[in-house]
Amino acid sequence: MNIELPKLAGGVISAEASGDAGVVRVRFSGTADLEAKDDLEVFVKKLHREAVRLSATKVIVDFRELEFMNSSCFKIFVAWLAQVRDLEATQQYRIHLLSNPNLLWQRRSLAALSCFAVDLVAIET
Amino acid sequence: MEHPFFHVSFAPNVKLVSTVRRFTAEFYERVLVDQEVSEKVALATHELLENAVAYAVDGETGVRIEVVEDLLTIKTWNRASPDRVESLRAAIDQMNQEKDADKYYQAMLEKTAYRTDGSGLGLARIRAEADMRISYAIETDRVCIEATTSLNRPLHGRKGVQ
Repeated sequence: MNIELPKLAGGVISAEASGDAGVVRVRFSGTADLEAKDDLEVFVKKLHREAVRLSATKVIVDFRELEFMNSSCFKIFVAWLAQVRDLEATQQYRIHLLSNPNLLWQRRSLAALSCFAVDLVAIET
Repeated sequence: MEHPFFHVSFAPNVKLVSTVRRFTAEFYERVLVDQEVSEKVALATHELLENAVAYAVDGETGVRIEVVEDLLTIKTWNRASPDRVESLRAAIDQMNQEKDADKYYQAMLEKTAYRTDGSGLGLARIRAEADMRISYAIETDRVCIEATTSLNRPLHGRKGVQ
């Protein structure tokens, strides 16, 4: 499974993806704020395209080193979930969010994402 | 520590918002006993400041955070275009008509998922995730947004608090 997704190394945010046996893993770190928004949006769109191209069954998103996310960046993930939700059932993939219990914003923000796409999203702490 | 407050104004600059958030987060950690409340209000401060900076039409935006009795208030202000002033007024009025903050937030997530212009989520997020009430005061083109929350635990420095 050869994932074609360049590493995101912006000034305030970074992300790196890998793929293996139907599972795509992506790890974010830094701060997802207005400065990061454009780079993050491009990255997440490519991530979705790659997950579909590779017929991934699961995407694991590691937020444990993401210090903060503003609403503009949060919206990028909401739009992504909506895209996955709108796929044919056979093309859909599950999304597992890895959260950091020490970053309390993640508790409520990721729970909101989970409610938005309850059949697709699982949260692991 | 009676009636603690923090007040800063700066030239609108996106890069300064995260700096001010970290700065204010330290204020909250020193003043508030409850770490969860500290993080919630830091999130609210960031969202309010980004809105203020994004829509400011002149050279200054500001934030004031104060604790009076058991009420914490974050106040941001800026000058904005007439269109922005009206859309902000309508957005807050509409949001406050829905009493269930989580229900409104989920409805906004559905709406924003397909939007191409901005997120429109900031205020709903503050209300739902930070458990804060949102109000506004508008004088011609000067917009002041207030987010308030009640504190259930005392402040650092008050009697009986280490």
